[in-house]
Amino acid sequence: MYSVRRRGRVRATAALAALTALTAATLAGCGNNGVASTSSGGVVQLTMLTGFTGPDEASYQALVAEFNQTHPKIHVTMSVEPWATVAQKLPESWATGQGPDLATPSSDPGSIFNYISTNSVLPLDDATGTGTDQIDAAAFPSSVRNAFTVNGKLYAVPANNATLVLYYNKDMFTAAGITAAPTTEAEFIADAKKLTLSSGGKTTQYGLSLADNNTIQMWPVLQWMSGGDIVGANGCADVNDAASIAALTQWSQLVIQNHISPVGQAGADADTLFSSKKAAMEINGPWAAAGYKSAGINLGMVTIPVGSAGQVTLASTVPLMIERTTPHAAEAEQFLAWYTGKTAQAKFSEISGFPPARTDLGSSVSGNATVSLFASELPYARLYLAGQSKATSIDSDVYVPMIQQIERGANVQSATNSAAQQIDKLTGCTS
Amino acid sequence: MAVLHPPPARAGRPPRRRRWRFNSAYLFIAPSLVLIAVFIAEPIVQSGWMSLHDWTIGSSDNPFVGLGNYTALWHDSRFWNALRVTVVYTAAVTVGQVVLGLAIAARLRRTTWYSSLLRTAYFFPYIASLVVVGVIWKFLLDPQVGLINAWLSDLGVSSPPNWLQSTSLALPTVIAVGLWKNVGFTMIVLLAGMQQVPADLYEAATLDGAGPWRRFLHVTLPALRPSLLFTSLIATVTGLQLFDLVFAMTGGGPIFSTESVVMYLYQKGFVEFDMGYASAIAWVLFVIILAVSAVQLRVARYRDDD
Repeated sequence: MYSVRRRGRVRATAALAALTALTAATLAGCGNNGVASTSSGGVVQLTMLTGFTGPDEASYQALVAEFNQTHPKIHVTMSVEPWATVAQKLPESWATGQGPDLATPSSDPGSIFNYISTNSVLPLDDATGTGTDQIDAAAFPSSVRNAFTVNGKLYAVPANNATLVLYYNKDMFTAAGITAAPTTEAEFIADAKKLTLSSGGKTTQYGLSLADNNTIQMWPVLQWMSGGDIVGANGCADVNDAASIAALTQWSQLVIQNHISPVGQAGADADTLFSSKKAAMEINGPWAAAGYKSAGINLGMVTIPVGSAGQVTLASTVPLMIERTTPHAAEAEQFLAWYTGKTAQAKFSEISGFPPARTDLGSSVSGNATVSLFASELPYARLYLAGQSKATSIDSDVYVPMIQQIERGANVQSATNSAAQQIDKLTGCTS
Repeated sequence: MAVLHPPPARAGRPPRRRRWRFNSAYLFIAPSLVLIAVFIAEPIVQSGWMSLHDWTIGSSDNPFVGLGNYTALWHDSRFWNALRVTVVYTAAVTVGQVVLGLAIAARLRRTTWYSSLLRTAYFFPYIASLVVVGVIWKFLLDPQVGLINAWLSDLGVSSPPNWLQSTSLALPTVIAVGLWKNVGFTMIVLLAGMQQVPADLYEAATLDGAGPWRRFLHVTLPALRPSLLFTSLIATVTGLQLFDLVFAMTGGGPIFSTESVVMYLYQKGFVEFDMGYASAIAWVLFVIILAVSAVQLRVARYRDDD
């Protein structure tokens, strides 16, 4: 007879089996996520997580492919996720030793402080030098090298290095009777006004397309042109000094009264405005050139006009770092040495249009007019909030809201004073 | 002197200890319990623990700060602004959803070919992802290249509003989109509720001389009480958790004018890596949602048979 007790045993066994299978599956899910490095058949497998989802991804992949081809004992696999996803996944995965061997944590160079403070990244000083398999940090632009050096140790190499130039629509310039691109701040302002057109009280064409959020920073360039700044080297706010206030007042009035730019644009909005031929000028990096050309714009590109403080532009760089606990640190360092070497950087510039992340390749890129233009700005390019451990908070909590307030008519003096207080509080400045 | 004696023990067999019997049902629910424990219970407990620490993602040193994060939250004007934004959004969307949903459901109660078409049209936005809805509306409302302002210009409006870049218009615009997205769900639930109301109740009311408005007020609405409670509760809880729509449409701007509590939590936890503070925000939000839900149930006099 098939007893009740036996039926109960069968049930219990089935449930136990299900529980065991589920527990096994759950624990398997908690284990290594498969991104850490391995070594098989004498070939060291390295994983690299990046946020290069744009059209420039192909350039990075090409570089990685060339490394794999020329280094048969090391194989790097580059995966790409949106920056927001990288920012969410990487801290925990690196902190628990489950992450990729190499990663670009953020497009914001200030993000490296978060990873250094959690002891997640490998200092690279032992791997630096001028040898073939060494990272030639001395060849990096000084602003980049300084930004990636914390407490005297180098923690990252530049995955890329870009500067901003002034893009302009030649057809709009011709239609406005302007024969040459602006070279000085005064010409820049005069052209922006002249290129702003309106009809029936509505602006039909903007002289300049400025963005204030989710963008490569444009407003700091306008401040620097006149000698202003945001935070000084001592960590104390400079955003409310006389030069900053004068610059912010001037440009906000141009936006509010002369309508040279729409208010409150995100970076993508500003790009759309320029590529849809509704704006005559935009400050942007090398990644934008191909898109604007394919949009049919008769495109001109020049260095940022010179203000009273001399030539200046914004430098943008993405840090590339090694996980501290990777078992293949030597191979990862070898990859970084090759990646930032002369051959790789010259090739990267050629295929991407970015200037090289080295300052000693001037002659190698001189044949490419676009790369040469961006590269020519490297000596005076400045990083946004360089060296500030609270750069992320200063940007999102203070600077961007301050610019948004000023663009909407807030008193510049009081807005900058308030911002300065918040910055000093974040940085711990007491002077 | 009287002496009190304890009552005599009851005669009979001593109480038998109940024998524990293995119940295989526990094993069948065990997989679900394991999942709940690992993915829900443990993270909840962990977040409570983190909220009592100065906890940075990945840091080996997360000092105990007691209620420090909660105290800081109390004095954080940005949190209060985010709470205000969240409450305004939730109140507007909940009331709007219930009132509009009820009106549309009443209007489309009869099944005809066009009412079926309209029901589908109203419900359609609900099945779309919030992020997709947010991105599409952001394009539509773009002041330079958007369709809405182009139409307004064609209609003779000389300076169409800058919907998402105006600090006074951004939140109402997000509310309107949230309402548009969710009203179809309320309509469908209330429509289903209306179709469950027995026809003889309406006949009796008609015989008593009740007109359409009185029938709606005294027959339909009381019968819809469980559905109204359900929809308002769902709208409130989802409203208080506002994130996707704001993230896609405004990113919380301009100048924090649309920053919700969850958006602020995200900023603190996943942008600035301050997980202790973010956990404290999450716990405060949890308590708020719990309290609001309890009040709603109390006010609506929820019974088990609802």
